[in-house]
This record gives sequence, structure tokens and C-alpha cells, in this order.
Amino acid sequence: MSGWRRLAKLQPQIISWLEVGPLALILLLFFGVPMLIVLGVSFFDYGRVQMIPAFIFDNYIELFTSSLTLRLYLTTLKYVVIVWAVTLVIGFTVAYFLVFHVRSLLWQIGLFLLCTVPFWTSNIIRMISWIPFLGRHGVFNQALMAVGLIHQPLSFLLFSDFAVIVAYVHLNTLFMIVPIFNSMARIDPSLLEAASDAGAGRLRVVREIVLPLSKTGIALGSIFVITLVMGDFFVVKVMSGGQSSTVVSALSTEIASLQYPPAAASSVILVVIVALIVSAILRLVDVRKELTG
Amino acid sequence: MNAERKTGEIELVNLTKRYGETVAVAGVNLTIPHGSYCCLLGPSGCGKTTILRMIAGHETPTSGDIRIGGSSVVGQPPVRRGTAMMFQSYALFPHLSVLDNVAFPLKMRGLDRDRRHAAAREILSKVGLERFAERLPAQLSGGQQQRVALARSLITNPRVLLLDEPLSALDEYLRLRMRGELRRIQREFGITFIHVTHTQLEAIAVADMLVVMDQGRIEQASGPREIFDQPRSPYVARFIGGQNVLGGIVESVADDITLLKGDQGARFAIRTNGSRPALGSRLYFAIRRDRVSLSRAVENETSSTIPNFVRGTVHAIEYQGSYVKVTVDVPGLEEFVANVSDGAYFVDPLEIGQPVLANWKMEDVHRLEGDEQASTAQPRLETALS
Repeated sequence: MSGWRRLAKLQPQIISWLEVGPLALILLLFFGVPMLIVLGVSFFDYGRVQMIPAFIFDNYIELFTSSLTLRLYLTTLKYVVIVWAVTLVIGFTVAYFLVFHVRSLLWQIGLFLLCTVPFWTSNIIRMISWIPFLGRHGVFNQALMAVGLIHQPLSFLLFSDFAVIVAYVHLNTLFMIVPIFNSMARIDPSLLEAASDAGAGRLRVVREIVLPLSKTGIALGSIFVITLVMGDFFVVKVMSGGQSSTVVSALSTEIASLQYPPAAASSVILVVIVALIVSAILRLVDVRKELTG
Repeated sequence: MNAERKTGEIELVNLTKRYGETVAVAGVNLTIPHGSYCCLLGPSGCGKTTILRMIAGHETPTSGDIRIGGSSVVGQPPVRRGTAMMFQSYALFPHLSVLDNVAFPLKMRGLDRDRRHAAAREILSKVGLERFAERLPAQLSGGQQQRVALARSLITNPRVLLLDEPLSALDEYLRLRMRGELRRIQREFGITFIHVTHTQLEAIAVADMLVVMDQGRIEQASGPREIFDQPRSPYVARFIGGQNVLGGIVESVADDITLLKGDQGARFAIRTNGSRPALGSRLYFAIRRDRVSLSRAVENETSSTIPNFVRGTVHAIEYQGSYVKVTVDVPGLEEFVANVSDGAYFVDPLEIGQPVLANWKMEDVHRLEGDEQASTAQPRLETALS
């Protein structure tokens, strides 16, 4: 009893420290410390199968002088930009539909659940199930041929950039929908009417009112999608059939061949670049508005 | 946009709106003259906001016609109608400055930045807000936000301004000031205002024309004085307030005076100029609260035979400044109130529980139309379609 009372009398500052404490500790132990280890290892020397503790810049020098690095980053960036643009358009329209056209809450929840269907099964199953669908003799090609739209099966559907992007969009659109939905749901519908009363057409209403007021949701969704795509290697590996590689898929190859120090250096650079992108987005849009509501 | 300025006369012809099975507006016919201040008054769910939104073009009528300045506007977008709407929540764009909010309709009409900002500044100065031009709406008080909304709706020189419960979000003091302001602006611009409200006093204070609605129908449409003084039906009399509604069975008709027998044995004499109500039929009438006089009742007095006297006990006393509102419990009546002027009241103040006699002059009685069913129904206050 008296213990609780004493706790209640604690300074509010101490109480808030207690509240963030557990998470801060977990982040420090399982995120901060490993990051520091990676940073340390990135300066190590390495042999065929072992790491040699050292403090050399060779790994970084190699990284910055190799033309492969640039190619990897360009491929990654290509995926990121295309996937971001496609998920943004789909996410925005789906969220707009859910917020402004679906009036009943029950339907909103139901349709939302429908958007989560891709997550009802494991990533591997999801990827594998694309193969009978998009393959040369897959369902999609067969259907197009049956309808008579094409006479030869399309070969770019599977094991190609196209396949990688389809899989990324399929996986990541939900992460765009949810935050945009959240910020759109806060828009007073009478604002849309007021805009149309003022003479704005449908597209104008979206551009002048809905888009600026969903900015925070778009920023959060973009952060999710960009970081997820930049950090993935599995989808690229499976869907490109090993034909393209991104920063992280190259990194995973290095790890598989036990070349830890160059992999560490490469991941340090990736973390810096992702952090720069995220901070650029945060600089453009004040996300705190979304969090404080 | 048009070279000649079209008038803001509004005509509703058999206007009907249904939502599935529910009838929100049931065949309304109404003409609102150009340049008048019209209040649509009624409890929530009576269809008044639906009518406003149909005139604005934010709702499509199920059937019937809306004419503004003589031509039908059904199916036209708001901007072609020459109407502007002021929303209950003001609907200011939170991401735009006050200046850009006010200039927004001009931006949509393709005016360049300098010209629309100049026009916005001019109209902001008319509502006394030019100092706040660069602020965001959230940095303004409720009253200021409302004036921004008003400026935004006036900037396109509409011929009709539609106001949806414009004063309901303000506190009492601001509400009184703003309603005077609205009236002043309506006179200054000389355009038609249609103002939806559920507050009787607000409507009476500002309107040239008052439309009392119930369940999607117009109960009465005329000047505020007429509505207050000569309500058409028991519903209007009860809703507007200030009236006691009584009824009785016709007992005898002589010349133009009809004698009614009330439920509890009281007798009422009313003038029924010209018409001869059938014996045994039920008639309703209203007597203004301030035309009722009260006196202490003496026990065993046989007053019930004298017409226009009712006996009851004092139920509640509210001092209202210039008058005292005395609620009298009269058996068989739902509510009976006498507003006694403060001078007269404090000569001989009453106590709660005191038996009293209330009486009034026959000339002050106002006969009501309407059947039994309508008169027993109290004004409904349920929230339905709004």
C-alpha cells in the first residue's frame, strides 16, 4: 500500500522515464548494441573463413571504388521508386474509397481485412504461389491466350523486374493504405462539400483538400514501403529468378560466403542512406501531427 | 458570371426527398422572395437541413423542383446555382491560412493570386478580420472562425447564402452578437439568406420570413410576428413557445362566441368569427403566457362555471428579470404558464403549492386549426435525419 502511494508521489518526470524505460532497454540491447558490433566489424580485416580484428578502411574503400556498388544501388532505387509510386497510387485510392465511399463501419472493417489477406500465409508460400500464376504456362498466360489477346505466352511475367515489382506491390500496399486511411479518416467530410461548394471539381477537391490533409499518412506509408523494399532480399531472389540483385541481396550473398566485414561495411552504408531518406521525408512532413492527432 | 444579376428568389415545387423508406422532405412548396432573410425552423430530423442541402446542390431531390431566380437548378453543381453555403462546423480548410481560405472560391474560378488575395483582404476587412489574414483557422476563436467562413461564402457574390445552424457552436454572448451581425450583412449585401436553426428565439429575432417545419412538412410559413402571435396549429404554438395550448368540446354556439367545455370541467369562451363549429367537435386555442393573469384562489369558490378561468396550484416560479414565469399545475393540462410582469408580481408574490386562479380575456384567445391527433402530439425532438 505505502509503496504504491510513494510511487504515485514520484515526480512526473520519473514516471515518464519508467514508462519508456522497458522499450528503451530492449532497443538498446537488441538494436543499439548489434549496430555497434556491425559498425566495429565493418573495420575488420578478413581471410577465407575468419575475421581478423583490425581497424582498416579497406572494406569501405573497396565499396566506394567498385562499380558494382553503384549498379546495386541503382537497381534497388529503381525498385524503390516504382514500388513506392504504385503503392502510393493504389494506397491513396483504396484509402479514399474506404473513407469517403464506404459509409458503414462494418463494411470498412470487412474490406480492411480483405487487404490483409496477403499476410495470412508465409512469405515463402506467397512467393511460390506466383510461379504457377505468372509462369510461361501459368494461369495468367493461359487466360490471356484463351481470350485471344495474345498468341504466344508472355515471358516477362515471371523471373523479371516485372515479377519483382508485382510481388513488392502485393506485399507492401497495405503499409501504404493503413496510414493514409488513418489521416484521411480525420478529415471532416464537410470540408469536401465546402470545397465543391466553392467551385472545386472532384479532382480539384482531391488535390487541394484531401491530398494536403493526408500528407502525414502518405509520409508514414512511404517510410514503411521504402524501408521495407530497401531492406528486402528474398523477393528479389525468388521473383527475379536470380537475375537481378539489390544491395541487400548482394549483402546476403557475402554473408553466405562468410565475408562478414565487407557485408558489415555495406550494411552500415545502407543504414546511413535509409536514415537519410527517412529524415528527408520527416523534414518535408511533420509526422508528429499524425501521432498527436 | 452573368452580365445581368439574377435574383435570389427561391421556389420549391413539390420538393421531396426519401432515404429508402424514410421520407425526409414530403412535398414541400415554398417561395422565398429575393433579398429576404428566411429561417427554416424545426426540431432535428424535421427535414430543414435536407432542404438547405438540396438548394445548395449537396443533395439530390427524389422528386420536385428547385428554382432559383426563375430557372430550375436541379442537377447543377453548386457553383452554377449562385448559392454559397456556410457549414455548421464552418468547414474551414485547416491547412490553409485565413487569407487562402477566403480566397479559395476565387482560386477555383481561376483568378490569379494577386487578384484573389486583394479581394479576400477586402472582404476580411468587412468582417473585421484583416489582422488575422496570415493565421491558420485553428489559431482563431470560434466567433472569428465563423466570420472567416462567412467571408469565404460571400466572396463570390452569391445571390443566395445558405446557413446551416450557423450559431449553434457559439457561446450565448457571441451568438447574440453574431445574429445581429448576420442580419446586418444580409441587409448590406441585399441577397437572400436561408438560415436553418432549431432555436425559436434566434429565428424570431433575425427572420423576415419564418418557416416552421415538422416531419418533412411545412406547418406554417409567414412573418415572425404572425407566427408568434397567430400560430396556425397547436404544433406551431407549442414549438414557438410563449403560448398555452388548450382545447375543449363545443358546448354551445351563440352569435360569434363559442363556449367550450374543457376536460376538467373548466369552460372557455372563444370567438369563432363567422364560422359555426359543430356541437360536440373539439376545438383548440392558444393564449399567450403574458396575457394570463393569476390570483390567489379561495377555497370552495365555484369558479369553474365562469368561462376562461382555470384553477391550479403553483408548480414552479422562475424570475426572468422583466417578468416572472409561473408554472401552474392545472389538472388535465400538460403545461400551463403565466408570465407575470415583475412589477405586478412582487406586489403580492406567490409561493409554490399555492392554489391559484388563472384567467384571461376572450379577445386575447387565438383559435388554432388542426385535428385532435396533431394537437396531442408534442414537438418531436428525436434525432433522425439531419
